[in-house]
Amino acid sequence: MPQFDTSTFIPQLFWLSLIFGVLYFLVVRPTLPKVGRVIDERETRVKGDLDAAEAAKGAADAVRLAYDEGMAAARKTAQAEVATARAAAAKAAEARMAALAAELDGRTDAAMATLATARADARAALAATAADLTADAVRRLAGIDVTAADVDAALAEGVRHG
Amino acid sequence: MANPMQQFEIERIGAPIIVAGQDLSFTNSALWMLLAMLTVAAFLFIGTARPQLVPGRAQAAVEYMYEFITDMVRENVGREGLRYAPLIFALFVFVLACNLLGMVPFVHSFTPTSHIAVTLGLATIVFVLVLVVGFARHGLHFFSLFLPEGTPLFVLPLVAVIEFLSFLSRPFTLAIRLFANMTAGHVLLKVVGGFVVTLGSIEALPYVFGLVPLSVNVALTALELLIALVQAYVFALLTSIYLNDAVNLH
Repeated sequence: MPQFDTSTFIPQLFWLSLIFGVLYFLVVRPTLPKVGRVIDERETRVKGDLDAAEAAKGAADAVRLAYDEGMAAARKTAQAEVATARAAAAKAAEARMAALAAELDGRTDAAMATLATARADARAALAATAADLTADAVRRLAGIDVTAADVDAALAEGVRHG
Repeated sequence: MANPMQQFEIERIGAPIIVAGQDLSFTNSALWMLLAMLTVAAFLFIGTARPQLVPGRAQAAVEYMYEFITDMVRENVGREGLRYAPLIFALFVFVLACNLLGMVPFVHSFTPTSHIAVTLGLATIVFVLVLVVGFARHGLHFFSLFLPEGTPLFVLPLVAVIEFLSFLSRPFTLAIRLFANMTAGHVLLKVVGGFVVTLGSIEALPYVFGLVPLSVNVALTALELLIALVQAYVFALLTSIYLNDAVNLH
């Protein structure tokens, strides 16, 4: 096997050390740390971006929380106002209803009173007219001259004997 | 049939270079190591030329490989081990490039990692690294590596000897594993490739029987590509496991 030809060992080792030395000191040493730096930089950058995103999310959450709280407070205030307004309106309506009812009652009473007076007047007038009519009818039919007072008296008589 | 060992022959390229009586001529082995190095250099320089926050293809490929190695080191050694990640990265990409370039067909490709000298050289780097880091971090306390905790006292001398021998054998197992895998794979490809010619040249029915070893060779090529990757990974993984001993003493 050519591998065990020891005369080739020293030249091979010479070229190996030369070429591997160049590879290590002139190729790998200058370039590899750059790779590490780029990777680190990227990690820092990504981490920074993630942190910024986290912070932004926190801020957004805070804003949203504030918004929710504001909304809740505003809703509560509005509800309270609506309730107060509703109560006030109800009270006012009730008062107006009461006033209206009172007014209506008063007008009803007045109307009833007027009606009663009118009825009494009518009844009185009716009696007078009936007596006149009767006296007139008696005069024309019987030729007896009677007055309304006589008719009244006769009617009173009739009513008594009934 | 060509000798399946011929592909491992080291041939001089260009004029012989002799320094102090030692032949240091440029060879096909040196050429393919150089090509591996240049491939890695192109890969790394293109991938890191204009680093961007959102990486392009080349940058993403370099970053993927970088994270592959650093994750492995972090997992096996811990954060202190990351200082040695560039060396493990260099070992990984160099072995990987040598292994893969050796699979390129038609160009008389040569696999430097199929030579024990090269793999032993790489394993020596690992061994020296482990020794230097171990003694630098722990001083003489580094020898406690050979005394596993909780060992009963009466077997301790035996265990210490076994641990010591296994520690010493590490560079050899590391080197031989890689060399043997690459050599065996390439020999197998050549042998089966020889069958294609032999069986395909049966005069009664030419080509037909050659199809069987040919399809076997296609499958073997896929397997060898996998082995090229896996062996580079194993080399880097074992390096980080050995480094863990030096950094953390078990």
